[in-house]
Amino acid sequence: MIRQISSKVGGLKNLIFIGALLVLAIVLLLDIYLVDQILEPLEYFYLFFAIIAIFYGIYPLYANRRLTKYYWERIKRHRLSVFGLAFIVFLIAVALIGPLLTQDPTKVNFQEKSLPPVGFTIQQSVYDLKAEEFVTRETPGTWQHPLGTDDKGRDMLAMLVSGARVSLQVGLLATLIAILIGTIMGVVSAYFGGWVDMALMRFTDVMMTFPFFLLLVFIIFIFGPSLVFIILAIGLTGWTGTARLVRSDALSLRTREFIMASKSLGASDTRIVFRHLIPNVISSVIVIATLSIPGVILAEAALSFIGLGDPTVTSWGVVLNAGQRSLDTAWWVAVEPGIMLFLTVLAFNFLGDGIRDAFDPRSQL
Amino acid sequence: MKRGGLQGYIIKRLIYAALITFGVVTITFILLRVGPSSPADKYLANMSARTQDPAQVIAAVEARYGLDKPIYEQYVDYVVNLARGDWGWSFSTSLPVIKLIQRHWVYSFQLILLSMLFSASLGILIGVYSAIKQYTRTDYLATLFSFIGISIPNFWLGIMLILVFSVQLGWFKTYYDTGLPLFSLANLKALILPVITLGTGMMAGYTRYARSATLDNLRKDFVRTARAKGLPERVVIGKHVFRNAILPIITIIMFDLSGVVFGGAYLTEIIFGIPGLGRISFNAIFAGDYPVVVTITLIGALVVLFTNLATDIVYTWLDPRIRYD
Repeated sequence: MIRQISSKVGGLKNLIFIGALLVLAIVLLLDIYLVDQILEPLEYFYLFFAIIAIFYGIYPLYANRRLTKYYWERIKRHRLSVFGLAFIVFLIAVALIGPLLTQDPTKVNFQEKSLPPVGFTIQQSVYDLKAEEFVTRETPGTWQHPLGTDDKGRDMLAMLVSGARVSLQVGLLATLIAILIGTIMGVVSAYFGGWVDMALMRFTDVMMTFPFFLLLVFIIFIFGPSLVFIILAIGLTGWTGTARLVRSDALSLRTREFIMASKSLGASDTRIVFRHLIPNVISSVIVIATLSIPGVILAEAALSFIGLGDPTVTSWGVVLNAGQRSLDTAWWVAVEPGIMLFLTVLAFNFLGDGIRDAFDPRSQL
Repeated sequence: MKRGGLQGYIIKRLIYAALITFGVVTITFILLRVGPSSPADKYLANMSARTQDPAQVIAAVEARYGLDKPIYEQYVDYVVNLARGDWGWSFSTSLPVIKLIQRHWVYSFQLILLSMLFSASLGILIGVYSAIKQYTRTDYLATLFSFIGISIPNFWLGIMLILVFSVQLGWFKTYYDTGLPLFSLANLKALILPVITLGTGMMAGYTRYARSATLDNLRKDFVRTARAKGLPERVVIGKHVFRNAILPIITIIMFDLSGVVFGGAYLTEIIFGIPGLGRISFNAIFAGDYPVVVTITLIGALVVLFTNLATDIVYTWLDPRIRYD
């Protein structure tokens, strides 16, 4: 399975991996202590994400094409998950290319406020400058703003595209942080056992006792709402489920022969943890990661919906908030970001289900 | 199993719960002190308008709240005050926090209780029914519905309900009416949309769990035996399958409190203007009223802790197969 794929990665690649992480860390240290702003905080996340993805995702898949093909065949049999994947790819494309093609999502224009989407016409009360009075006018949607505008005249399409970018950023990066912490916590806890296990699991219990959203709101309240902080806060609070799952997986692995064998051959603890335990739990980690992305995206949307999001970015939650304010005059402002949010969550749920079935050797596909 | 075993188990669980409570309190304290702004700043923003010298205000506030003491003394004060029920003073409402909580908890409670009843009863019913009719059109419909229910963002669902039923059709008010007596039909009607908003996602989840739990039990040997004995299907499903399937579902419902229910209730209260704890915490955040925010976070954690504890104990008591260790 994935284990066999990952175990092909050895020696030299390990060095490259650690080297790349080290370079990133050095740049970060330089950034903090010597020069100012080599990279934006978010760009560090991206680079980190890219290194992990190449080493633990793309390279193993490429190195073992036969198994990759096998999994792809299995995922394909779950038709809904292919739809999900297609939508996610579409969304990523929109998030990457979209901002170049659309207008500025923050541009306010009260002349064009509350325009309906193309194909809809509404009655709108407008101030007529010549007649110097309010007149009721039929306002049709225009191709200038295909999805309409909100109550400040901002282009809906541009805001949705910007929102897609924010949602994917938060969804992917925060999930990555959460599963990294969760995996390390779980594996370390299971492998070392004893008081380490005891301490880490009690800490996990304490973190799990906090209602997720309340803790998130509390942290944002204390540390202030910037996108980087929201990503960090979600990542640093959302790892508990992964830790539990990975721990139970790793506990059953710990007593298996191949771990015993490498131990008796004199392998160090770090080697066993990083070369044997982590690659073996990766398939369940991938499943839990895919299935927890929707929750993360919703958390960010909810935060920005109630006004605790980053005030400088236009996310779907912000648009939804504007939508609730103008429900009686412009229904589309609330409907459109919600549909995007709904489809995104649905897509990740479908994909996660498909991947879970594909990785489960017992499922009949 | 002997009674002593159960008692010992309960005592062990209580000690454990006390430890977790301690951990929860400690983490909030650490977060408060690690944060970039001192609690005094939040007061300062509200008080400096009235006084001349900001430095004096800071010193006064810090002395008043013990922020000038060494950190471990602050920690001890924090824990002791919480334990004594002295949860601070909410300056944005000019009330002790505990009074504020007493005044508002019931709104959250009624919303959460009704949503749980609504979602659990309907969810389990649909789930069990769709498992019995596995691979029929009803089953597919239920599965599709539960997928949609899980994926629909509940705050958006709330807004859509308001849009359709309040703004377009005018059946309900767009805001929750706080003047209504608690036990009245009018209050129940005002809660219909909020309960659907909060309950739909939960219901969809329970439908899935109930379906898979029922399917698991339908394949068991004792079900085949029961059918072979010639028991009517009603008894087989009602007594043999349902009773075995229900326990894990109840656990899941209880554990859901922490993740789905509180977050959902927080947002639902904000959307519909229900003056529950979520709404209070929301207002307090924008007023910089930190004792309220801390207390509500702690209350959330404690409620989760004690429902989990109660579930565990009741579960052990209900299910004789569980051993206490």
